[in-house]
Amino acid sequence: MALSMWRKLPKLMCVGHGFHTSPAYSHIIKLTRLRVVDNSEIGKRAMAEGKPPKCIHVYNKKGVGTIGDKVLLAIKGEKKKAIIVGVKQNQPALSPKFDSNNVVLVDDNGTPLGTRIHVPIPQVLRTILKEKNVVKGADYTKLIALASRFV
Amino acid sequence: MKIGLCAYSGYKIYPGHGKTMVKTDGKTFTFLNAKCESSYLMKRNPRKVTWTVLYRRKHKKGQEEEQAKKRTRRTQKFQRAIVGASLTDIIAKRNMKPEVRKAQREQAIRAAKEQKKAVKAAKKVQAPTKAKAVPKQKASKVQQKSAPRVGGKR
Repeated sequence: MALSMWRKLPKLMCVGHGFHTSPAYSHIIKLTRLRVVDNSEIGKRAMAEGKPPKCIHVYNKKGVGTIGDKVLLAIKGEKKKAIIVGVKQNQPALSPKFDSNNVVLVDDNGTPLGTRIHVPIPQVLRTILKEKNVVKGADYTKLIALASRFV
Repeated sequence: MKIGLCAYSGYKIYPGHGKTMVKTDGKTFTFLNAKCESSYLMKRNPRKVTWTVLYRRKHKKGQEEEQAKKRTRRTQKFQRAIVGASLTDIIAKRNMKPEVRKAQREQAIRAAKEQKKAVKAAKKVQAPTKAKAVPKQKASKVQQKSAPRVGGKR
């Protein structure tokens, strides 16, 4: 008697037809863990320790970050700004999809904190970052000069 | 524009098609379509999937034009001049007719015989004993037969 009860239970617990579930997005939003891809000191230490930085703010009208967006991170108890260079999310036709959410640390003026980026960087970043540049303000294209490989 | 190749099937990817993916270790993969991408993600080995270029290459399908490989290489025989004889000499010797050779040989034998006779005659004159003359003649006859053959190969 008890056995047949258990067999019936799963069906009763199937609530799927009641409401809508959305697929798992790989968005970059607040509290997403990111992977630092440059060779800056803080970045290397954080990744080595196994405490990847968390995003605490996305500088975007929508709270979702994609390639080229600036982001505020919490690394090792500090707040640092960074630019997203690779996303796990499904991309439109032009840009490649990465297996990890990659990020490059940057200061307020857009100058990167590291000196080299070993991971491939999407070509579309060039056009995206050019538009973000503020004359005599932040220059975000310096980050592209560090890249060793493009995709 | 650059026409890439699909990382899975080996087909050409024209601009406007395909999807690229970058793995955590930095390796880039371009796929022609969702079929190739899914096959790759399912970890299907392209060398076992019949329609891919890798499979066809491995099993040597449709490559009849490349039978040129069967042509074996043959080494060329090359005539060379040696210190003892120049090229012309070697060729002349090789091309000698057998009659000519025979005649040469007989000439050489005759010459050797004459020489030997002359030597024997000189020795006879020098040697005083008559008794030695008879056995010497016999010995000399035997020796004539064993004169070396001059004139090269038959």
